[in-house]
Amino acid sequence: MKVLSKDKLSTALNKLSDSAEVFVPMQKGKQSGYFTWKSFEEGQDELMLEALNVYQSPKNAVFPQTERIYGIASQGVEVNIDKTYEDTSANIIFGARGCDVKGIMAMDLAFLTKGYEDSLYKARRSANTIIANACYEPGPNCFCNAMEVNCVEPAGADVILHDVGDGYGWEVKSDKGEAVTALLADILEEKEVKLPAIKPFIQNVDYSGVAEKLKDMFDHPLWDKLAEPCVNCGMCTYVCPSCYCFDIQVKMWGEQGYRFRTWDSCMFEEYSREAGGGNPRGASKERFRQRFLHKLQFFKERYGTPLCTGCGRCMIVCPTDINIVRIIDAVKEAEINA
Amino acid sequence: MKEITKKIQEIAARLFAEDKIDIFLAWAQQGEHEFHTNSYVARSAEDVKNIVFNEYSIYNVSNSLLKFRDSQERIGIAVKGCDSRGIVRLLEDLQIKRDRLYIVGIPCPGLKDPLAAARNYGGFSRKEEEGLAWKCLDCIQPNPVIYDELVGTEQTPRQQGDRFAKVKELEQMSADERYKFWEDTISSCIRCYACRQVCVACDCRTCIFDEMKPQWVGRENSTSDNMMYHLVKHAHMAGRCIECGECERVCPVNIPLMLLNKKLIQDVGLLYGGPEAGMQYVEGSKPPLSVYRENDPDDFL
Ligand code: SF4
Ligand code: SF4
Ligand code: SF4
Ligand code: SF4
Ligand code: SF4
Repeated sequence: MKVLSKDKLSTALNKLSDSAEVFVPMQKGKQSGYFTWKSFEEGQDELMLEALNVYQSPKNAVFPQTERIYGIASQGVEVNIDKTYEDTSANIIFGARGCDVKGIMAMDLAFLTKGYEDSLYKARRSANTIIANACYEPGPNCFCNAMEVNCVEPAGADVILHDVGDGYGWEVKSDKGEAVTALLADILEEKEVKLPAIKPFIQNVDYSGVAEKLKDMFDHPLWDKLAEPCVNCGMCTYVCPSCYCFDIQVKMWGEQGYRFRTWDSCMFEEYSREAGGGNPRGASKERFRQRFLHKLQFFKERYGTPLCTGCGRCMIVCPTDINIVRIIDAVKEAEINA
Repeated sequence: MKEITKKIQEIAARLFAEDKIDIFLAWAQQGEHEFHTNSYVARSAEDVKNIVFNEYSIYNVSNSLLKFRDSQERIGIAVKGCDSRGIVRLLEDLQIKRDRLYIVGIPCPGLKDPLAAARNYGGFSRKEEEGLAWKCLDCIQPNPVIYDELVGTEQTPRQQGDRFAKVKELEQMSADERYKFWEDTISSCIRCYACRQVCVACDCRTCIFDEMKPQWVGRENSTSDNMMYHLVKHAHMAGRCIECGECERVCPVNIPLMLLNKKLIQDVGLLYGGPEAGMQYVEGSKPPLSVYRENDPDDFL
């Protein structure tokens, strides 16, 4: 197997950064997330490939929190689009865990299938290569195994890294993977490696039948209880590797401006507010329910797979200890009396 | 703490039995780990057994009152020092009536941050220290300032040294250095609004940041829009922030929000004097900057 020795890691990242933006998991000051290797400051930042995961997911690399769509130049009543923004410059996500790769797969479904293609997303994604990092030791909050993720061989990865101690086994999975491998031809070595054994998952989550059961639970009293502590901040949605909702807004300075999109959250009141002022999800509970039904039922119904990837982030950040695993359990246990 | 838990449970049970309350707000532990402790609403004597006060009962429960401001329930509530100042905030802001509340005060020994514990447990990023939460190390008012009944013994404030030392450090910087500092810090804000949602002083019914017609502050995740968000949010905190530290504790990108709040606390103190926000409740009183008079001596109004 090809191996990337750990002492050649920065050489490899430098090499890849020559032709692409490379997003790596990092502790950057007090922040933890995916940042570009070019922004890495020796002695200050820390590479977090060895950690289970980082706080912010890599979705920013293919679906930035804010991105411009087109520029506007108006003259009197005439409004012209003077520029469109589509970013096709190469970018690489290096070291994404299986759950986060699944997050991007889910966004692919939402943005690229069912007869509609999001051109901004498509541009970025077609220039994007995913180098995943296999998990042999799931953490205490991980439950990707229950959410249709193979944490050692995540579907959708172009290359998969396998940590073998002093290096990473380098498994190529696609043409894009071949292309980045070629860039590192003189850095990768051919070696015999022994892949580690997979440790068992600590959490035991059973998602089977949940999507189907939820169909009859829209008005179930359990939502009142579950939603009670939630304060409807958007943290869980913003750290989630698969939440993809956005809003489109405009900025104008006199005659010049641009339209942009920016992440939005179903947890916000303003998200579902209608132009006339009404709001079908005016109550906190309704927004809370939307998030979990989208994750566990609606997406599964439309695309055949859940929108939760089991990364466990939302339950780590939530200020009121809302826990999606407890919600899955509660749904499983709930009685439905017609 | 077991003692305190027991006493709160007894009081809550008594209040339910005497039909003095309809709900009791406190904390409960969910799941096997103690750090899975958070806000809780007991709705009957049955529920009372779930109430706990443990070393992770750090959530400012006065914030939970906002969910009940428009309803009629009579509310029992357990509060630490910081939480009790939150109640004063809500009373002064006319968000809730005093006679709807039965307040059980807990002199607070200082608590730990369940979020730090959850991060450590989850194996995300670097291990953090798990001593007392910094907001508790910085606490000037562990004893409740308003209550109907007190549980436990008085505590001494833990805050040590110059409370505004960090603020002064920043004040020493040149304007450019300071701008750079805030630019670097605030550009990483992801605008999740958790700092607003957990804030008891953010009690506006429609927040300015949610207004769309007109949209006062842009939603772009850019340094300028982020700065506008923080400028406006914190300007609204001047004289009103009760220093519970929840905003900074929950921020997923560790923005030092209390530095802004402390600066405002310091300046409002210097300009207006008087007790700090939420330190005492006098019926009808208003915090500085919350009064509008047509004959205001300043002509900018
Ligand atoms: S959820 Fe699965 S893929 Fe994600 S970090 Fe845990 S074990 Fe790895
Ligand atoms: S579930 Fe938690 S993180 Fe998500 S909106 Fe509610 S309080 Fe915020
Ligand atoms: S819902 Fe929570 S556990 Fe599921 S993918 Fe999103 S952040 Fe991860
Ligand atoms: S909690 Fe932090 S990241 Fe979220 S809006 Fe507030 S300052 Fe920004
Ligand atoms: S601004 Fe922060 S410290 Fe002040 S009251 Fe709000 S949450 Fe508490």
